[in-house]
Amino acid sequence: MKNVLYNLGYFLKEAKKIIQLNLLSNIFSFLGTGLILFMLAMVVCGWSIGNRLVEMLQKEAEINAYFQEGTDEQDALKLVETIKNIEGVSDAVLIDEAEAFRRMEEVLGEEAYILDLFEDNPFEAYIEVRIHLDDIDTILEEVKNLDGIDYVRDNREVLDRIQSITEGLKYLGYLIFAAVGITTLVIVSHMIRQGIYNNRDQINTLRLLGAPNSFIGFPFVLVGMLLTLGGGILSAVLIVVLINMGYGQMSGTLPFIPLPPRDELISGLLILIMSTSIILGLAGSLFGLSSIKNTGNNGQ
Amino acid sequence: MIEAKGVSLRYRDGTLALKDVNLEVSPGELVYITGPSGSGKTSLLKLLMGMEYPTSGSLSVLGQAMTKDDPRKIRKLRRLIGPVFQEFKLIKGRSAMENVLMGMRFLGISPKQMKENARNALIRVGLEHKMLSRVENLSWGEAQRVAIARAVARKPLLILADEPTGNLDHDNALNILDLLTSFKDKNTTVIITTHATHLIEGQSDATFVKVREGNISVERRAKFSEKCFV
Ligand SMILES: Nc1ncnc2c1ncn2[C@@H]1O[C@H](COP(=O)(O)OP(=O)(O)OP(=O)(O)O)[C@@H](O)[C@H]1O
Ligand SMILES: [Mg+2]
Repeated sequence: MKNVLYNLGYFLKEAKKIIQLNLLSNIFSFLGTGLILFMLAMVVCGWSIGNRLVEMLQKEAEINAYFQEGTDEQDALKLVETIKNIEGVSDAVLIDEAEAFRRMEEVLGEEAYILDLFEDNPFEAYIEVRIHLDDIDTILEEVKNLDGIDYVRDNREVLDRIQSITEGLKYLGYLIFAAVGITTLVIVSHMIRQGIYNNRDQINTLRLLGAPNSFIGFPFVLVGMLLTLGGGILSAVLIVVLINMGYGQMSGTLPFIPLPPRDELISGLLILIMSTSIILGLAGSLFGLSSIKNTGNNGQ
Repeated sequence: MIEAKGVSLRYRDGTLALKDVNLEVSPGELVYITGPSGSGKTSLLKLLMGMEYPTSGSLSVLGQAMTKDDPRKIRKLRRLIGPVFQEFKLIKGRSAMENVLMGMRFLGISPKQMKENARNALIRVGLEHKMLSRVENLSWGEAQRVAIARAVARKPLLILADEPTGNLDHDNALNILDLLTSFKDKNTTVIITTHATHLIEGQSDATFVKVREGNISVERRAKFSEKCFV
């Protein structure tokens, strides 16, 4: 430990020299590591957005029940009351034609003018039923069979699709995580091995002078860490830029998609990237260091 | 400090470089190892710093048994030795100063102390004006002095100099021998190999080890003369 403190400047100079000795490969390793980590960050980002979406949709699980022809307001309100009493239903409200029209106007925003093309209000009245997702099957069945209800629409399909995309992203995330791990380990340990090979004379001399392996290996571990940390910082910058752009776009064009809080997302991703890169840098360089043992042929 | 009993060294290719070597060296001794080229002088030094291990017999250096069993202990032992290699083994692309520092960086010496030791050693070998020169730009004799400075700056208990007079003219060779022997003191043993016996003709107060085809004979504290070994 004392030797590390006493020689910090020396170790940094050594690390610089090791990197310079093979500059181009080291630059590409750094870029490569950065880009794979960026990919990892993107997938994790997509996954957490998807998760958030599913969470919101699950909380807002609702079904819409449409009336048979000839149901008047009186019957409709009675139906609302009946539905409210079904187990698993948290609320039910009547949405009349005017309200349905207004809602569509809201969803369409600037495009709402297309509604003017209709002579009459094209929308029907319906009952909006908020439910607990777990009970969706029985509720659907019951509501459908009520007198005066024609058919029922639910958002389960959308929910299922988003859920399966999120699930897919999760597995993609695992895959990319494995890819990041393997590739980074191979790149870093290879670069370290290369550095050791290029420095074999010096390493050999140091051994003959009695330097312990930890002293000889330290600059190489430093190089490994610098490579992956550099890659980590590169990917962090890229992902922050991407998220800021994405959030700007989304809030303009798709305001109804619930996104996780930006700061929370960014800080989570930064922690993930940085810790992954540090761990991989350390592991990769220790992995590569094993070849120090086989360098030179001078007894110990 | 050094104790060799019936030590033989056979290289992996079958060459028997040393045969049944018995040798005892005490702290503060000056030892010259002489013998023609290929006789086994370097091999003997290699054994002393654990670059090779005895194929038979037993050897201990500074109390450390020289066996393959514990590499860490051999590394530790090497920190007590100041080696001057036949081919120097300086680190290219670095200054004389940096090379000398390199021998001390893992000894737990403070940076200030390291610099002071290195400066003093370089001054002592007469390279005050070349401290910051890269070693590949130095002359043979200067490079050798850097190697000596690196060996002595760490204040070793045992200095091993392999053929330090090779490639030097007569006067310079004598200067180098004087320099090396000046590091001998009551704690520091100096061992020098050379095939130039004329350089040490008349030297006394030293131990002379003559190696011939792997066999050694030892003459202690006599005035050196070729005739001592018959
Ligand atoms: N690594 C090795 N493998 C096989 N044989 C070796 C090895 N090193 C040295 N030898 C042989 O061992 C013998 C002694 O070699 P050594 O280097 O000890 O001689 P030396 O006395 O130092 O010679 P010089 O004065 O030329 O330096 C020689 O025959 C040499 O060829
Ligand atoms: Mg030799």
